[in-house]
Amino acid sequence: MHELAIAEALIEQVKETLAEAKCEGRVARIELSIGRLSGVNCEAFCFAFELLVPGTLLEDAEVLIRQPKARCRCQSCKARCEIENEELPLVCPRCGSEEITIEGGRELVLQGIDVEETG
Amino acid sequence: MKIVAARRILQANEQIAAENRARFQAAGVFVVNILGSPGAGKTTLLEALFRRLQGHVRPAVIEGDIAGTIDAQRFEQLGLPVVQINTAGACHLDAGMVSAAVEQLELSGVDMLAIENVGNLVCTADFDLGEHARLLVLSVSEGDDKAAKYPFIFQGIQALCITKTDLLPHCNFHVERLLRDFRRLAPTAAVFQVSALTGDGIEAAASWLQAQLAQAKLDKTAQPS
Repeated sequence: MHELAIAEALIEQVKETLAEAKCEGRVARIELSIGRLSGVNCEAFCFAFELLVPGTLLEDAEVLIRQPKARCRCQSCKARCEIENEELPLVCPRCGSEEITIEGGRELVLQGIDVEETG
Repeated sequence: MKIVAARRILQANEQIAAENRARFQAAGVFVVNILGSPGAGKTTLLEALFRRLQGHVRPAVIEGDIAGTIDAQRFEQLGLPVVQINTAGACHLDAGMVSAAVEQLELSGVDMLAIENVGNLVCTADFDLGEHARLLVLSVSEGDDKAAKYPFIFQGIQALCITKTDLLPHCNFHVERLLRDFRRLAPTAAVFQVSALTGDGIEAAASWLQAQLAQAKLDKTAQPS
């Protein structure tokens, strides 16, 4: 259940971002990137988020989650590829080598916030 | 109005972790984050390692548990400075908890700090505490499929201690099967097969810790002041 801690961190971060932007109002939507290799279960994350938002600026906010695919660079064939199949072992989709460096897909990022300003 | 944030969600934790790391570095303390399931033998292994390193290092322990002080008492009996963190339900330590616990330690008398995380192979992976190295404890009774099933935690570690090897004859655990999966996840990590009961492998793991400490001291010396 580290999704709960991540949802908590996200809510704090949204509040901080709004305070820094001196932006008052209700959050209509947040956009997140949760990479497929991030280890975060989106369903558990959304469940935790819904538990935490009542009484906050994020109550009723829509959550848009993008789940970027794993990206790798292959040591054998030197290709940079997206990996469709995240089953272990991760292999280069082009040549099948296991000698790959993961370059993306672990991200956990708050991309944007849509605010409905009051007044 | 749309605000483009592009912030890592765990940025707040990462910032505190970076502060912790700078503090440890300045004090010349090597910090190791001890990970593993409940019952893997994290505390028993640490006791054996610190007994072996007695007189060679000045250790301290931060002990993370959901409740209680059982493990902290064990380190007190060894005469080590120890701070207990009770997470009150949280399944992992975070950098803020460690920062608060460090306040309770006299770092000038310490050169190796072990942070024993909450027993968990999932959540602890995501939270940087400011450590220099992660050591994962996996007991043979847990099964040789764990690296394949919990890849995230195995990916980021610098050392793996396979514990309770005295039980190998009784467990369907094949070291080579575990290592085949593990090597894909952490090709350069050190691997030790240990039994705290018989003392097998303890010396090798202790030497590794000592070498890491020596490296941390070198890094401190190399730092521009």
